[in-house]
Amino acid sequence: METILSIHQLSKRYGRIQAVNQLSMEVIKGQVFGILGPNGSGKTTTLGMVLDLIRPDSGSFTWFGEEPSKESRKRIGAVIETPNFFPYLSARRNLEIVAKIKDFDYSDIDRVLHTTGLHDRRNDKFKTFSFGMKQRLALASALLNKPDILILDEPTNGLDPQGIAQIRRLILQVAREGITIILASHLLDEVQKICTHVAVLSKGNLLFSGAVNEVLAVSDCIELASSDNEILKAAIEEHPAFKSVTESDGILLAVFSEEVRPGTISEYLNQRKITLSHLVERKRTLEQHFLELLKDTQP
Amino acid sequence: MKLLTIELKKILPYKTFWIVIGLYFLFLALGIIMAEYIVNAMVDDVNNRLPIPLPHAVLFNFPDIWQNLTFFASIRFVLIFPAIIVIILITNEFTNKTVRQNIVNGMSRSEFILSKLQVVLMLALVISGILMIVMLILGLVHSDSQSLSMIFTRFSFVIGFFIQMLTYLCYAFFIAFILRNTGLAIALFTLYTIIIEPVIYFFLRAPFMWENKVYTYLPVNAVIRIVEYPSIPALKKLMNFQLQEEVSLLSCSIPMIYAVVMIAIVYLTFNRRDL
Repeated sequence: METILSIHQLSKRYGRIQAVNQLSMEVIKGQVFGILGPNGSGKTTTLGMVLDLIRPDSGSFTWFGEEPSKESRKRIGAVIETPNFFPYLSARRNLEIVAKIKDFDYSDIDRVLHTTGLHDRRNDKFKTFSFGMKQRLALASALLNKPDILILDEPTNGLDPQGIAQIRRLILQVAREGITIILASHLLDEVQKICTHVAVLSKGNLLFSGAVNEVLAVSDCIELASSDNEILKAAIEEHPAFKSVTESDGILLAVFSEEVRPGTISEYLNQRKITLSHLVERKRTLEQHFLELLKDTQP
Repeated sequence: MKLLTIELKKILPYKTFWIVIGLYFLFLALGIIMAEYIVNAMVDDVNNRLPIPLPHAVLFNFPDIWQNLTFFASIRFVLIFPAIIVIILITNEFTNKTVRQNIVNGMSRSEFILSKLQVVLMLALVISGILMIVMLILGLVHSDSQSLSMIFTRFSFVIGFFIQMLTYLCYAFFIAFILRNTGLAIALFTLYTIIIEPVIYFFLRAPFMWENKVYTYLPVNAVIRIVEYPSIPALKKLMNFQLQEEVSLLSCSIPMIYAVVMIAIVYLTFNRRDL
């Protein structure tokens, strides 16, 4: 397991606002790593710091196991916030400048222009592009010569549904090629659709991180009903993983502190001679889960 | 060379660059063409009232041409154009946010500063070079004597002009990096050069008369004074000009000290600030 990016206790303060607070995390080769959090949670500041745009107040980070340098940045492809290019230069010339800075020759420019669907417009000036095309050119520049890691900050922000679909398709395509990706987003379903791992940020603090299917796809709620809900309730409360139970419209909603399968619950209740008339595993949506995670951090 | 190649890729297709540099040479050419005419009109005007007429001014013969043309090319209103180019080229990187992209793509901050300094050096060299060629051709056309020693007398004015250009463009480089905003930087720089400093100069000069030379150390004044007077005998008599035979090393060193300090400040701040 090769560590691509390792962040250690990184902090940045803007006046009274602690933008990033003692953040530590690791991105391993091959991961599609989502940084999830609402606006102002410190995603962009974190990416800015690891890309040498923003000076951290304290903490450190390494790229590819080495001290960060301009050479390590040449192995990174990054799309940060808005696409930044010279308005009066053509798409191709803009990419030539990027290639020159990264010490690449121009041989890969046509490929990335084809990949992003901009080859027909390669000689047109950047300022004539639509926002979606600008964003794709940013992606094209990030993909030059197949970087070791691709960093995307809100890559679908401000795009129409068609543009969003295009960009997501491109990202998945890149991920399949085995390129490690860091994706910052405030959109849950974007992270869920694309990422393998996720770190959730709120107000500069890392709430937790881990594999997406472990962290976000939890099912710990079960709906139950029987002929006598009082007895059922008492039985549920005795379950070792019991957390809480609420009743509405004759149906009990039981929440457990760990994952409980409907089958095992059914068996557990059968042993107590309770026959269920209703048993549904209710997956909490990501949205609910995400909001609950954020709620825990409110004062 | 890599950094300069990148800069040329940014600059050469840029229309505004060619427009401003075109304006500079246009104003310069107009100034040079009109200078001889205006000076001689003044001489004629005075001669009407003088018993012994002053000789007509000849601007374009060797070795006077070096001093005369570099003098006209370095008056405040003309000098400002190349400075505006430098300001635009640097502040563009901030307004287009391409500076961020350059750093992210693997340029170090020091390299970014260095690339802009190379642009400054290149512009100073090219402009001085073009002016030198123009002077050489004009001089050869207008001079009877074309001995090499005659031609290269007072060649130090060409070197002096290069130092003027280089240091003044370093000032522009400084203001662009500090303010980062095209309009603001151009406005402030022009205002300072053309109005603020002459006003300070006036108030410093007035109470102390000519003995106190503090005003000669003001940054832009120090640049202008490298080529302080043209070499026109008639004007010397008319306007009490002093004779300046050569460019002095001392007069070059003052703006160079300013420029070095400014570059140092840019290095220190740019390496610390967030982009």
